[in-house]
Amino acid sequence: MPRNGSSRLPGFVLAVPAWLWLTVFFVVPFLQIAWFSFGEKPGMFGTHSNAVMSLDRYAEAFSPTFFTIFRATLWMSVLGTVACLLIALPAAYFMAVKVPAHRRGLLVALVMVPYWTSFLIRTIGWKVILSSEGALAGFLTDVGLVGDPHDLLNTRGAVLLGLIYNYLPLMILPLYVAFDRVDGALGEASKDLGADRVRTFFQVTLPLARPGMIAGVILVFIPMTGDYVTPAVLGGAKGTMVGSLIASQFLTAQNWALGSAMAVVLILLTMLVVVLAVALLWGVGWLVGRRSRLVIGTKTSGRKELATT
Amino acid sequence: MSNPGDTNRNVRILASHAGARAIRQELSRRHFLSLAALAGAGAALSACGTGGGGGGEAAVEPGAGATGGPVEKSLSIYTWGDYDSPEVIDAFGKTGPKVTLDSYGSNEELISKLVAAKGTSGYDIVVPTGVYIPQLIENEIIVPLNKDLIPNLAKVDPKFLGQDWDPENEYSVCKCWGTTGFVYDTTVIKRDLATWDDFIDAMQNEASGKTSLLDDPQGVAGLYFWANDIDWNTEDMADYDAYEAEAVEKWAPHIAGFDSYPATGAMQQNTFALMQNWNGDSRLGILEHKQPDRWKWVLPGPTTELWMDNWCIPTGAPHPEAAHAFLDYVLEPENSFLEMDYIGYNTGALGIEEMAKERKVELPEMIFFTDEQLATMKNGAVNKAQDRRTEVYDKLKAAASA
Amino acid sequence: MSKPSGTNLALGAWTTLVFLFLFAPIIVIGIYSFNGGRLLTAWDGFSLEPFTAIIERPTVRHTVAVSLQTAVIAALLASALGTLAGMAMARFPGRWTGPFTLLLLLVSVTPEIVDGIALLPWFVTLGQDWSLLPFNNGYVRLVIGHSLFATAVVTYIVRARLVGLDASLEEASADLYARPVPTFFKVTLPLVGPAVLAGGLLAFTLSLDNTVISSFINVSGTTSWPVYVLSSVRSGLKPEIAAVSTILLVFTLLVLGFVAWVLRRSGSSVTDTMAVN
Repeated sequence: MPRNGSSRLPGFVLAVPAWLWLTVFFVVPFLQIAWFSFGEKPGMFGTHSNAVMSLDRYAEAFSPTFFTIFRATLWMSVLGTVACLLIALPAAYFMAVKVPAHRRGLLVALVMVPYWTSFLIRTIGWKVILSSEGALAGFLTDVGLVGDPHDLLNTRGAVLLGLIYNYLPLMILPLYVAFDRVDGALGEASKDLGADRVRTFFQVTLPLARPGMIAGVILVFIPMTGDYVTPAVLGGAKGTMVGSLIASQFLTAQNWALGSAMAVVLILLTMLVVVLAVALLWGVGWLVGRRSRLVIGTKTSGRKELATT
Repeated sequence: MSNPGDTNRNVRILASHAGARAIRQELSRRHFLSLAALAGAGAALSACGTGGGGGGEAAVEPGAGATGGPVEKSLSIYTWGDYDSPEVIDAFGKTGPKVTLDSYGSNEELISKLVAAKGTSGYDIVVPTGVYIPQLIENEIIVPLNKDLIPNLAKVDPKFLGQDWDPENEYSVCKCWGTTGFVYDTTVIKRDLATWDDFIDAMQNEASGKTSLLDDPQGVAGLYFWANDIDWNTEDMADYDAYEAEAVEKWAPHIAGFDSYPATGAMQQNTFALMQNWNGDSRLGILEHKQPDRWKWVLPGPTTELWMDNWCIPTGAPHPEAAHAFLDYVLEPENSFLEMDYIGYNTGALGIEEMAKERKVELPEMIFFTDEQLATMKNGAVNKAQDRRTEVYDKLKAAASA
Repeated sequence: MSKPSGTNLALGAWTTLVFLFLFAPIIVIGIYSFNGGRLLTAWDGFSLEPFTAIIERPTVRHTVAVSLQTAVIAALLASALGTLAGMAMARFPGRWTGPFTLLLLLVSVTPEIVDGIALLPWFVTLGQDWSLLPFNNGYVRLVIGHSLFATAVVTYIVRARLVGLDASLEEASADLYARPVPTFFKVTLPLVGPAVLAGGLLAFTLSLDNTVISSFINVSGTTSWPVYVLSSVRSGLKPEIAAVSTILLVFTLLVLGFVAWVLRRSGSSVTDTMAVN
């Protein structure tokens, strides 16, 4: 693709509105929060003051409690993200490739429809389903999958279910979009070249869907680490997430300084995890991509080659 | 969402906890100074300085400028969701002002909003919980009421006036109040529970893994202090160390949830067997349950809390006349009864208990309490221990989630 | 398309299960919206009362209207901003993409409560101290609050679609027009259609569901539906709340069905139509 000076400028311009918007309505207010984190809580009735500047709030934020809960949150988010990916991959592939084209838009919309009501209502729906009196608990107890009908709600499993449920669409949609563009021609080319269907999927389709997978993983993982209401409702005492610590500083203790410091710590840690994970994914993807390139030879970069076949 | 508020009923004024009183005094002084400055600037020199306050601040113009003039065309109320009888709101609307209701989910949300808006929130009436009122007064977020415009104040039971946070009711009037007790499943816990000690014991035995506590640091701390008959507004950090040791080590493994509304939610599916709960939530939960007889409500001793949500007028209220008119309207016992009947909390109107009995309100014993019971209920307070309470609460949550 | 095969059947079955999973709690809520009792989750016989109650409760209808209006505008805005930014990132990467990616990441990582707490005083500064009156408007505030994460979402999805997607079409166009801007609007934009649609839908959904930010920034008269639901917990959730969800669900399904029917009759596929936009 030609990349000369003249085409770079207009390209950049396209991102300017988003850049400006986020700067004015995100960066500026966020900097204020970051500023609070160096201050303190002035007296009983104040929420924040920067009269005395210190790093003390950070020392408080790095408490064992914070790390215990952060570790648990991280673990649940990783499990939840992986589960979302595994659940969404076949479904998104099916929707994007196997379903007749005129039905696809409808299915995409249907994925979203359950979310057009308040999260609290959906969560209550799950509570009813998982309750010890519910049909599901009875069935699972009868077949011996759970020992006690009370074992469904207020468990780590319920937390995970809540997380997966809330974020599944954020995984399905990017994957759908990614598979949709891989659709058809390229796979046919691979088949023509003698690769079987499974091989085509793993060596052509999947690597090409990689940007979509990464987008999905980021979109799911990040808000999961900050979520705290649904896990608490479904998981009860087992569902304490790090977000609730921050919320309780802002809301109950009314200590905005400490809450801000905790938020900054959480943000930095989460970004670190994301950067590491993306690097890992790219690394793995790169290896896979290399292999597929070896297998199907020169026919990797799409339609240009196709035109010649 | 929480709220504690409380007073030792019988000895209401005398028994104000020392801390609370000190705060109050300081607040009154500061408040007086700031209002005096305002008055000096000529902003509030309206002639009818007779209104007010009943206290030493009678010279200050109360009521956000309401003088009993014509009632404005609209009224904006910012309150808890679904917290007022639609009948009362509609009926008041027919007297003139168009009523807009907006909702919040926690006191902190309300306070952040009002603080940030600096008097331009556009709300005429807000309903904070009592313990937050000193903070609202200190930050000049609410204004004194013009009590001349609320003659129905005389129809409020004096037992529910003059709480710690506003002894003269200069700024606030009781909207409704409740207390904290617990509910248990008699098919799981087959003995009689009567005290907070029993609660803690059952939590670690029959109800292990089926117990919920309030999702509120103050309420959970209260559990320990009430059981041990320690003032739950204590600022002695040694008390909190003892509380932390017991809660984190002994309670944590048995707690199934932190839920402020367990009876109207999870209890309907019998999810918990033992729930620390507010009386109104328990009452509604028991009434609506398929097997109401299965559940038992306990107002435990030796002490517990009394919290109260209060009608207040925020600074800068654009329709002060309508706000006062509404307060007077809603305090009328007949309307107060409708409010009580709708939400299931006592609104504190004189004679409301008799009305309720006459009209066969269900489970009145969970709305109305005897004087002996009232004597065991104490207001909470936002004080120096707030950070420590939150800290222990977070540790407890971390331990319980392990 | 493909002929039925073992793999396809398995994929279809799996997808059906996924949809069942997505709809399971909503179906339960649908059933409970016919609950004659006073509490949402305590079944007390079949009744239509929750639905008639909505008619008598203007507050409930108003909050739903607030949510829908906000969601449409926020979704359009986020789609516009995110599509442009995503295309720029995919097609014109440069030194600016690093910091921009970092910004997007920061937007997504920030817990909602921090956004809410941070935005509120900022709106007050803009609206009251600087007299920029639109910022005192509840709808404006909600749209802005909801657009932040949604913009990042749309950007990610659009970028993911374009990155690595064969650029030969655009190159051909570039050769013909020799100007990048027309190429964008005539070639690249149609290519990203499905991504914009998916991103816009997500933005709409995220806005409809937003509770934490909304609860902090709304002003008198603009309480959104999720905020109303959350605040109603204090006096016990009533079946009306389920009834509203049911009405929304049925209405949405009807609209979707109608759109599908119209498109089918007019002979064009949904995907094609999207691509044209």
